[in-house]
Amino acid sequence: MMEKLKLAVFELTDCGGCALNILFLYERLFDLLEFYEISEFHMATSLSGENHYDVALITGTVSSQRDLALLKEARNHSDYLIALGTCATHGSVQASVEGSIRKKLEKVYGDKGNPMRALDSKPVVEYVAVDFALPGCPYDKEEIYQVLIDIAKGVEPVRKDYPVCIECKLNEYECVLVKKNLPCLGPITYGGCNAACIRSGLGCIGCRGPLPGEVNPASEYEILKDLGYDDDYIIRKFKTFARWEP
Amino acid sequence: MIIELREFTRVEGNGKAEIVVEDGEVKNVRLKIVEGPRFFELLTLGRHYYDVPDLEARICAICYLSHSVASVMAIERAFGVDVPEEIQLLRELGLIGELLESHALHLYLLVAPDVFGYPDAIRMATKHGELVREGLAIKAFGNRLREIIGGREIHGINVKPGGFGRYPTVEELELFERESGALLKLARRAVRLFASLEPYGEKAEHFVATDGYLWGDELVSDEEGTFHYTERIEERSLVYSFAKQSRYNGEPFLVGALARLLLKADSLTPMAKRLFEEHREKLATGYVSYNNLAQAIELVYSLERANEIAKTLLDKGLDGENIPIEVREGEGIGYVEAPRGVLIHHYRIDGSGNVVYSNIITPTALNHTMMELSLLREAKRGYGELDEGSLIQRLEETVRAFDPCISCSVHIVKL
Repeated sequence: MMEKLKLAVFELTDCGGCALNILFLYERLFDLLEFYEISEFHMATSLSGENHYDVALITGTVSSQRDLALLKEARNHSDYLIALGTCATHGSVQASVEGSIRKKLEKVYGDKGNPMRALDSKPVVEYVAVDFALPGCPYDKEEIYQVLIDIAKGVEPVRKDYPVCIECKLNEYECVLVKKNLPCLGPITYGGCNAACIRSGLGCIGCRGPLPGEVNPASEYEILKDLGYDDDYIIRKFKTFARWEP
Repeated sequence: MIIELREFTRVEGNGKAEIVVEDGEVKNVRLKIVEGPRFFELLTLGRHYYDVPDLEARICAICYLSHSVASVMAIERAFGVDVPEEIQLLRELGLIGELLESHALHLYLLVAPDVFGYPDAIRMATKHGELVREGLAIKAFGNRLREIIGGREIHGINVKPGGFGRYPTVEELELFERESGALLKLARRAVRLFASLEPYGEKAEHFVATDGYLWGDELVSDEEGTFHYTERIEERSLVYSFAKQSRYNGEPFLVGALARLLLKADSLTPMAKRLFEEHREKLATGYVSYNNLAQAIELVYSLERANEIAKTLLDKGLDGENIPIEVREGEGIGYVEAPRGVLIHHYRIDGSGNVVYSNIITPTALNHTMMELSLLREAKRGYGELDEGSLIQRLEETVRAFDPCISCSVHIVKL
């Protein structure tokens, strides 16, 4: 029998959703366990202490010295490292909070000191090289399932390269931007969520981060302006999940 | 001497503890929330109200819907908007889904391995596969409710001020009715299992909850009358933790499943009430470990209540109409019972609909003092008696009893 790959899940600072989403695979988690052995996953198991991982998943932002140390440790001990979720790939909402760490700590905790050694939240990809980046707040669990199966079979996983609009059209949802004038970031956002928010009849909030390449953020900007949204609102919307400078 | 414990496992988020030992005696325990700060209230400032619930949902994945609903309620109160019963019942259904998903995760996957002596549910499944699958079935049903009411399993944006993006269909309501009935038997079995846990941790003397079962206009406590959090709850910062600590009238207190049962047993559904009465004596001692038993009874409550709500909505039919929002200057507080206890969202909104003040207090921050006291009690009991491994195990179990949501706890602000 093939030897199982050692899988680790490391959680930096985040909402816990990207780690939790793995447990939401339910029965298929047991299918994954045909190929993988969980060596580190502190939300789910009290076991740990391995010194080498075949595949490591990192969720969350680097928001403290503790996070940074853990990230380096994970990078040094794993063959294949995946930045999982928008916090890890783009910083997500917590990295979009403006101001220096000292100012923020003072406002919230009433003290200029930083005894717990907090850092301004940044995505994992700004500190280390990753082998694969899978965004989403949260990411689609079907996608991580496929990525892990691909790796187990020795196939390099494929990164999606189309906007949310494609999945919206495939599902035959009505265009909320054109028909309902809702602020929808679908045209410039990474697809892969199966257009979850448009399914609810609401606009895409851009939680998977901006799609690079041939998209046209300037034109999205103009459309939203024409719909009556002001500059400040649009800029904030663009920057929320990915600190994007339009 | 300071004994530094490693980070807790089988809890949500990152936290650890230090035990201070002097002259061979445990003098103090510090619960350190090491999850980095996330500054959600700062994120909210200046934002248009319409987008705020979707951002606040990101505070926590296990209880995102509680955050969405508390946020939406605070916004509606600021604008003086009342929503009809239909919308309230649907929100309650979503919150019930969250309670089922969260309690099932906690009880079956995180606590049950302690009961049977395994490091995790996956290894436990080789011998107790049936139990793990039962837990997963309840959890999946809870998530199905969250997906349909909330928009997706995690961080859906369907709950909006004044109503919903999309309303459930008749088929979906029928599914809720059918499945909630079918799962009841499993939940009753869980009550028997978790009733076997020993008493440990601190004995809580004060309890706080919202005045309705899953949300309220104000808070209630074991003392007389309802109150707003600003009147009796105080917070302070610590140098060794990213979470603040709270006191109720200057005293430590408990929020969560145990507090809800003890303060609001009258609102329980029939079977849940019988089970509560059966275990009342035990629960009333206030040991925090009985929070797990209380959670199991709440699984029964949630399934019975989901069934009732689905029936009511099927009989009446859904209008599916949102209440229009008129923006005006105002202030509002949303009180919701997240699975692990009272959750407070408090905003002031200006005339153009932007949030200008934001305060969020989460259950884990409210329970922080009680958690630390419970660790101190267990460390004092176990130090010198138990070997280090067993002591650490017991301390982990003690923290786990609270079902702490550490991610949620790290961004408390008063501006």
